[in-house]
Amino acid sequence: MKRRSFIKSALVVSATGAAVTGGLLSSQTVLAASHEMDLTKAKSFDEAMKMMGATDAAESDMIIIKAPEIAENGAVVPVSIASDIEGTTEIIALISNNPVPYAAKYTMGAKAKAAVKSRFKMAKTSDVVAVVKANDKFYMAKSNIKVTKGGCGG
Amino acid sequence: MAKSTIKLRTKEKGGLVQVKALITHPMDTGLRRNKKGDKIPAHFISEVMVEANGESVMMANWTGSISKNPFISLNYSGEKGDKVKLSWKDNMGKSDSLEKTVGKKK
Repeated sequence: MKRRSFIKSALVVSATGAAVTGGLLSSQTVLAASHEMDLTKAKSFDEAMKMMGATDAAESDMIIIKAPEIAENGAVVPVSIASDIEGTTEIIALISNNPVPYAAKYTMGAKAKAAVKSRFKMAKTSDVVAVVKANDKFYMAKSNIKVTKGGCGG
Repeated sequence: MAKSTIKLRTKEKGGLVQVKALITHPMDTGLRRNKKGDKIPAHFISEVMVEANGESVMMANWTGSISKNPFISLNYSGEKGDKVKLSWKDNMGKSDSLEKTVGKKK
């Protein structure tokens, strides 16, 4: 058993090592986007929250998620997220049961209203979590969406 | 000229400009398989930028969890005559952009 876990960890180490060198060799845009890359690697919701440093995000009713309760087709789920919190700079959308929970990050400019609408893919019934960064603090809200037909893989 | 991948609509109302856009893109997650059972490589838009008169209004970082032919809508405080530019980049290095003047048909 010990041996097996050793091989496993060795493999993981070499894989990450390869990824890092790959990143160094390729263009600068990859380096600039490395933070994003990390988040897309998070395979679970908790992991993604940890990577963002948003584990202590306070639930807020100032964030409004508009989404259908039941989505027939998980490939196209319209979700709109609006934040009434003053000084909102970032809106991050996470879909907790997707293979990669991190779905999107919106960075709002000074003039923009902190509200966006996009269509997401959902693998199965899941919570959609909106994490809002305002004044260097994190706030969150979630909404459960039932999916009858998945939209990832298949 | 090839047809643009972006459909952009802008509307001004009461000091707010609504920007709506549809982008034609496959948005593959990298998890789907084709009929032979081979994985279809991930191909998705990773960055969307909206600018008004050269000033950044919003930047979105997307992943494969955004639906195919993505739609985006947002509001910002602006006025008629603003030049709204939307551009995107995907993980395979492709990109496109489109500029429109608020309140004008073309």
